[in-house]
Amino acid sequence: MFEILNSDKTHAQTRRDFMRLSAAGALGVGLSGWLNVLAAHAQQNAPAGQRRHKSCILLWMDGGMSHKDTLDLKPGTRNGGEFREIETNVPGIRISEHLPQLARKMNEGVLIRNMSTGEGAHQRARYYLHTGYREGVGGLSYPALGSIVSAELGQEEFPLPNYVSIGRSFGSGFLGPRHQPLIVNDPTRGVEDMRPLVSEGRFNSRIGLLEEMEAAFLRQQTVASAQAHRTTYQRTVALLRSREVQAFDLSREPQASREAYGDSRFAQGCLLARRLVEVGVPFVEVTLGGWDTHENNFNRVRTLSGTIDTPIAQLITDLRERGLLDSTLVILMSEFGRTPTINTRGAQPGRDHYPRAWSLAMWGGGIRAGQVIGATDAEGATVRGRPTSALDFLATVCQILGIDYTKENNTPIGRPIRIVDRGAQPIREIFG
Amino acid sequence: MTLHHRKLLASVLTGALLTCFVTLAVAGEAPTAKAKKGKFGKVAKAVDPAPAPAKSTGEVKPPLQVPAQALSERELARLIDQHIDQRLAAAKIPASPRSDDVEFLRRIYLDLAGVIPPVEVVKAMLDSTDPNRRHKLIDDILNSDRYAFHMADLWSTRLFQRINDNRAVPKQPLQDWLKESFARNDSWHQIVTTLLTATGGTDDPNAGATIYTAANFGLDKLTNTTTRLFMGVRLECAQCHNHPFTNYKQTDYWHMAAFFSKVRLQGNPAANAKNATPLTVTESGKVGRGKAPPMPEGAKALAPKFLNGPAPTIAPEASLREVLAKWLTTKDNPFFARATVNRVWGQMFGRGLVNPVDDMHDDNPPTHPELLDALAGHFAAANFDLKYLYRAIALSETYQRTSKTLAGNEKDDTLYSHMAVKVMTPEQLFDSLNAVLGSPRAIDRKLPGLAAGKGVGIDGRTLFVNFFAVDENADVTEYQQGIPQALKLMNGARTGKLPTLAGFNPSWTPSQVIEHIYLTALSRRPTAQEMSRLLQYVSRDSDRTSAYGDILWAVINSSEFTLVR
Repeated sequence: MFEILNSDKTHAQTRRDFMRLSAAGALGVGLSGWLNVLAAHAQQNAPAGQRRHKSCILLWMDGGMSHKDTLDLKPGTRNGGEFREIETNVPGIRISEHLPQLARKMNEGVLIRNMSTGEGAHQRARYYLHTGYREGVGGLSYPALGSIVSAELGQEEFPLPNYVSIGRSFGSGFLGPRHQPLIVNDPTRGVEDMRPLVSEGRFNSRIGLLEEMEAAFLRQQTVASAQAHRTTYQRTVALLRSREVQAFDLSREPQASREAYGDSRFAQGCLLARRLVEVGVPFVEVTLGGWDTHENNFNRVRTLSGTIDTPIAQLITDLRERGLLDSTLVILMSEFGRTPTINTRGAQPGRDHYPRAWSLAMWGGGIRAGQVIGATDAEGATVRGRPTSALDFLATVCQILGIDYTKENNTPIGRPIRIVDRGAQPIREIFG
Repeated sequence: MTLHHRKLLASVLTGALLTCFVTLAVAGEAPTAKAKKGKFGKVAKAVDPAPAPAKSTGEVKPPLQVPAQALSERELARLIDQHIDQRLAAAKIPASPRSDDVEFLRRIYLDLAGVIPPVEVVKAMLDSTDPNRRHKLIDDILNSDRYAFHMADLWSTRLFQRINDNRAVPKQPLQDWLKESFARNDSWHQIVTTLLTATGGTDDPNAGATIYTAANFGLDKLTNTTTRLFMGVRLECAQCHNHPFTNYKQTDYWHMAAFFSKVRLQGNPAANAKNATPLTVTESGKVGRGKAPPMPEGAKALAPKFLNGPAPTIAPEASLREVLAKWLTTKDNPFFARATVNRVWGQMFGRGLVNPVDDMHDDNPPTHPELLDALAGHFAAANFDLKYLYRAIALSETYQRTSKTLAGNEKDDTLYSHMAVKVMTPEQLFDSLNAVLGSPRAIDRKLPGLAAGKGVGIDGRTLFVNFFAVDENADVTEYQQGIPQALKLMNGARTGKLPTLAGFNPSWTPSQVIEHIYLTALSRRPTAQEMSRLLQYVSRDSDRTSAYGDILWAVINSSEFTLVR
């Protein structure tokens, strides 16, 4: 199975191979029913060190995180703002005073201060940074990073979805519904639809009936679509009955570690992301909104910094303690940064959209940690030296995760579309 | 020049698209030595110094042969069968027999009405002995509201793809206008002409057709959508840098795009809900007021010229879109009738005679070229009457074949020896679930949104469709859904607890309930074996209502429900 998924076949071919294999019983899904599906998950108890793919947690700061007030401060300059810098645990690297926990994780991470991406409207920029393509171009709907990771690193026999999004995100575009994210609206309530609405006994009876109907239909008409339908349902039932599904249930987490994250929705989202990565989900996105600080920038960024500081630091700590940090890339980013200048339109000063120069942070994933990539000028307004484009960034992420970003995926009509479009150059300094 | 178009040029320089771009129409930046030595230098070495000229580019396509008088629908159906049977005989592939009535009934309903048949229709069909019952059924469906609704549903999705750039453009007026047009059975050439040439405000009553231009506003978008939907050509590849699979030149692209250069839009199609104002589409000979269609920088402004056709003489004051529409919708236009016939065929059979349906070019020939031309000719002769075309196809034995295979034809998927099994579209699934569960309400209003766009009012059906959406060009015979979609049907609020059957009568006996579940959801009666198994299931449960719910749950989650046989 694994060889097939890692070969250079097209997505559709892989899917057909999978169907053929499962029809032949290669997954242990015989006519005898559903329980065998469980036995097929040989990989579920594999220790972390032997895991075969990397994972990625994308912490999406929706609205545009002000780089000058978080990761790239310019204290003492005219539009430097109200915040002071503090030293991180890497000598010479300083970030906002309102991110003190993260300052102590600098040795695990990298700051990229030369992002420059050219899309200044929220939706277009979100789309561009998630997919690497501009919305509507070429008449295609492009897959988001999570769907790409799902298609490239996800395992067909893995009982959980390979792309989970805590909050809204973008979908799989031409890669098809199999790589759509499973969306969790409220991490403390778990996944919608993950819990049967009837008793376990009744649910099992229903599954039994369904399986009889599926088998009878297939005896009458051996058609690939019916086979695929049956396989999808079998995988879904396997998911519901799997141990991994408990990863979604935060009430199973010890009280102390829940408290270590804090009780905000974002904090619980980070905890859920950790639990999902622990069981092998390759891509989890956690969204925190509110960063569109046209007004009242400083008070809001102070509060938002407080919201993210502890949970992200705790996430990094937990991943490190579990031996997962080197195989898990954590990214903190937005669709763009905010203006180096301060506007005074509103009652409280604000900053506006700014894609020309901004910052993001990454931890783990085996990158060469403890460094800053790139720099902006004294005002945080332009990039000094070579900028990092959206394509460069996505290529870098792919390379960290072990995905060939030059690979072409075929659209349903056979148009080959590169995972990251031509012109991308991964950031060399990030690799050790 | 935008980044995208710089890249486009760069990839042109690398030669990745040699067959696609023979002539560079990008102004200002010729492929210079400097560019070749740059970032892409390494790839540029691979460039064939003397690319072969494209085969058919620029050639004038011969006009379609249009018979003086169209065959009757029955005659055209027979002609379809002759062509199909000839090829099967030559390939020595046996044809599967005719479908039985229930298989045919459910298929034709889903194909033409977009929903499973109502239970009364199923019962009437099962009880009918009228030898003409299939023909009558086809007529009934084509004359129903559901046909017009389904056609409007199909076409509004194709004509209007919701993206951020058109978020302030309302979709409903387009849908309403299409529905009325299909209900009146307006000629397809009339519908397309109106779509292409409409002017006015998007808030005018009966202004649905202007939505097409407003929703696709942009020289490239209008060109791409128009050529793809009405000509069956993916001309966008001559603008894009990914796949060199046609012989169209970039100049062909901008010659066609020129027909949209005089159209203007007042208002902002990407406005936020709070400051959105009605949009107005205008086109006049003089430079109009309002916003010109966004034109990618670097594209050369060329004179209007028809694809594979002549450069028309155009009066200075003329509407260019009218000139285009007039050429396109002429009976013997080499693209229009073929593209339409092929798309309709694809809707009915799960694949086009040219497949994908909108990718008609020399290197992707039809499986049955003479049949395609004959169908196109008669469709044009019948004044582009869509119902005529649907009726003729539906009456053919080819369409009425069972989807069950025979020994010797299992592997055939291009010669129509048996009907292809299609997977319900999200729209068909939603409407069919409603038909079974008996409520027009959303299946589950709390469906998670996939960046659907803030400020856009989204109803339950749209949410459901977005959640189950497959790519527009995906193979409709392939089941594409994943775990989240299965979870939604298994455990979603409406289906997961105690699904209720439309028209349920508490005084029914268990066998009557089971029969109704089957008639309603699967459009057939249960077999004796199924009946006895399910009666046993009900009798073993002290809670009969829940047992019925279990059966209904299993049926709507089954392959048989979601497949169109």
